[in-house]
Amino acid sequence: MTDRRDFLKITGATGAGLLIGLHLEAKPKPGETAKPEFRPNAFLAIRPDGTVRITVPKTEMGQGVRTALPMAVAEELDLDWSRIEVVTAQPGPDFKSMQTGGSTSVSTTWTPLRKAGATVRLMLVAAAADQWKLDAKLCRTEKGFVLGPGGKKLSYGALAEAAAKQPVPKDVPLKKASEYKLLGRRMPRFDGPAIVTGKAVFGLDVRRPGQRFATVLRCEVPGGQPKTWDEAKAKGVTGVKAVVKVPTGLAVVADTTWAAIKGREALATSTTWDEGAGQGFNSASLEAKSRAALTGPADEARSQGDVEKVLSAAARVLEAEYSFPYQAHATVEPMNATVQIQADGAELWTGTQSPNKAQSTAATALGLKAEQVKVNVALIGGGFGRRLGTDFSTEAAQVAKALGGGPVQVVWDREDDFRHDLHHPATLHRMRAGLDANGGLTAWAHRIAGPSILRSWLGGQKSPGQASAEASGALDIPYAIPALKIAYAEVEAPTPMGWWRGIEIVPNVFARECFFDEVAHAAGKDPLQLRLDLLGNQELVKFGRDEADLRRLKKVLQVAADKAGWGRALPAGRGLGLACHAYDGRSYAAQVAEVSVEKGKLRVHKITCAVDCGFVVNPLGLEAQVEGGITFGLSALFTQITWDKGRTVQTGFLDFPLVRQGDMPVIETHIMPSTEAPSGMGEPPVPLPIPAVLNAVFAATGKRIRRVPLVADSLA
Amino acid sequence: MTAFQLTVNGRPRTVEADPDTPLLWILRDTLGLTGTKFGCGQGVCGACTVHLDGKAVKSCQTSLKEASGHAIITVEGLSKDGSHPVQKAWLAEDVAQCGYCQPGMLMSAAALLSHTPHPTDGDIDEAFADHVCRCGTYPRIRKAVKRAAGGVK
Repeated sequence: MTDRRDFLKITGATGAGLLIGLHLEAKPKPGETAKPEFRPNAFLAIRPDGTVRITVPKTEMGQGVRTALPMAVAEELDLDWSRIEVVTAQPGPDFKSMQTGGSTSVSTTWTPLRKAGATVRLMLVAAAADQWKLDAKLCRTEKGFVLGPGGKKLSYGALAEAAAKQPVPKDVPLKKASEYKLLGRRMPRFDGPAIVTGKAVFGLDVRRPGQRFATVLRCEVPGGQPKTWDEAKAKGVTGVKAVVKVPTGLAVVADTTWAAIKGREALATSTTWDEGAGQGFNSASLEAKSRAALTGPADEARSQGDVEKVLSAAARVLEAEYSFPYQAHATVEPMNATVQIQADGAELWTGTQSPNKAQSTAATALGLKAEQVKVNVALIGGGFGRRLGTDFSTEAAQVAKALGGGPVQVVWDREDDFRHDLHHPATLHRMRAGLDANGGLTAWAHRIAGPSILRSWLGGQKSPGQASAEASGALDIPYAIPALKIAYAEVEAPTPMGWWRGIEIVPNVFARECFFDEVAHAAGKDPLQLRLDLLGNQELVKFGRDEADLRRLKKVLQVAADKAGWGRALPAGRGLGLACHAYDGRSYAAQVAEVSVEKGKLRVHKITCAVDCGFVVNPLGLEAQVEGGITFGLSALFTQITWDKGRTVQTGFLDFPLVRQGDMPVIETHIMPSTEAPSGMGEPPVPLPIPAVLNAVFAATGKRIRRVPLVADSLA
Repeated sequence: MTAFQLTVNGRPRTVEADPDTPLLWILRDTLGLTGTKFGCGQGVCGACTVHLDGKAVKSCQTSLKEASGHAIITVEGLSKDGSHPVQKAWLAEDVAQCGYCQPGMLMSAAALLSHTPHPTDGDIDEAFADHVCRCGTYPRIRKAVKRAAGGVK
């Protein structure tokens, strides 16, 4: 997909040991505009004492990059895992694209990181061989040492300076999988000890000398502005130091977070608002507009054969409307950022999935050049796409600027986080299918109507890739159907939007996999068997920019079904349902849900999941990603954001019922052994719990639920 | 402003602040103990859970005045060296993902095991009913609590 060019840059510095920067550049092919330029970088330093610092070019947000990526370096370099230090990179010349999203962290860095390790290993070996005056072939490496014949032994630390003077070898061979000592092992996460002792530093834990705390009084309607206010109200609260106008609202700056919160409460009582263009927005009218857009003009995302003709000739046509609401990211750590302006620039501390964008947008806000803003990427208390946005770090820069310095930490509270999220928008789905006289599926039409995340992200611009982006998960329906039409009809909405865990695919896969279940039942076929039949003997199939190996999808489907006991007899009120998806043609997942419905109450007992994402760097971390993805996906069956008078109706966890401990099903994960290149598993499990559970609800009760969230009375 | 006496992680502290200030912000902003996390400020996510005389409480819903005179333990004071059975069990089960909600989870786990050394699944569900983990560490939390129960006398 990308043309990658690796090169090494080596500098030797006495005392600092050997520094290796490995750069990777990638340019999109001509005409390929959908994905941003890709330039991750790895950086490692070997100190004279033999400790090794590995700089991770991706943001840790719970997905385990600060464990998995160092494993790739440590494997090829034969490091002692107990003597490594892991730091997160800072954006700058060495790290020009650190964006973390799309389940790509391992797949995009795994080869360059291993090459970095292997290259440095050869240089250390060459340095030792020189010193011992023998052939490098007689040396080997183990746990941070070069070993030579006759018990010769030198530590990497002792060799670092000499190694830095060695020529950089080219085309370095990488280990075979059979030689791996670390890769493929169940490694606990590197930050575990810091987390369980409370020492891990998240963005909100940043403390600088003289730091103040700020809250921002924002209009409840996104985009609205304060008209009049009385700052004396805020200043009457002990600890409040200043009230400053910033583009997002009124910042209340205080000695402590609590004083900033109380000061803002007081200020709010005196403030009047111009609610702006968004004030009339509400969910009911959006839904009506989306419903109207289910017919009429639309942008085509994929077309094959003449769907309308095949439908009109079909023995039977099925039609259904599916609905998925606005959703919030609801990270447990609310948005926050800390900024300090200095004589020659500024420093920013924040949990961000977009460090480079955070740097450039803060610089613009401060009237500085990007390179004058040093960005410290904190641990992230939940990302899920929310922290791809830089609205909150830019806002902190604006507050620091208005104060003339800082350091100031801008803290969002829970309500801020819900009201001013970059929400994932609501969609309606018009599904149509044609069956022939034998129950064969001859045509499939999926029309999606709703606001465009991509347009919101691009500042209001319509991209040529808009329809295929908003239809992903729908356009890559893997089943062989003679006539297909996948289309997207955009509906305007005034709210800021963003991607979610699963990018755009969660609603689309929900509608697709549930409607497919409807088709199977209408055709009198087993939903598993119909999927297997229509995956058929397809091998590599291209959907837009992605190419999927459907044999791998078929395999995970079969394994999940077998392990879950698909087809076994169940008591009344209990059922199994399944769903599967090939994520970006790279990662394959299938899930079977076992549910019961008793007196209208749903209980999800178990989700059995089979996944194939190529070679698994850290199975312990991968299983966590599957458990996390399923939990996230399952929560979305119950949560929603609705809008009234331009504001979110939901303002916190009380009216956004995320899955909790007592709601959890047993999760059983089966990982397909594979020697294929690793892909990703952060998002692939997310879209499947909703269709698997709702298909199981149908099996249990005969009730077909086409609307998320599932509300209490829909199963009564 | 009034002066209040607190005992935090065994150490006597004098804090001058408004009596209604939530203990959460005293810990985080006044005493610099940032292991206790802010998640909702409404007592419904559990990220701010600490021990007050051995009981798990939401520090965002406990005022300085209410905390005054009581023994407070935060995640930093759960053990000197990370050796509390729940900390060890959390590492053994590799519970944490992003880790943000985990200090609160650990405090509730420790409190649960102190009064219910061998909790049932129902006890565990109840003990964590007020906690949110958006990353989805619940299955491992359950395993870790059971593992710690095996090691708690």
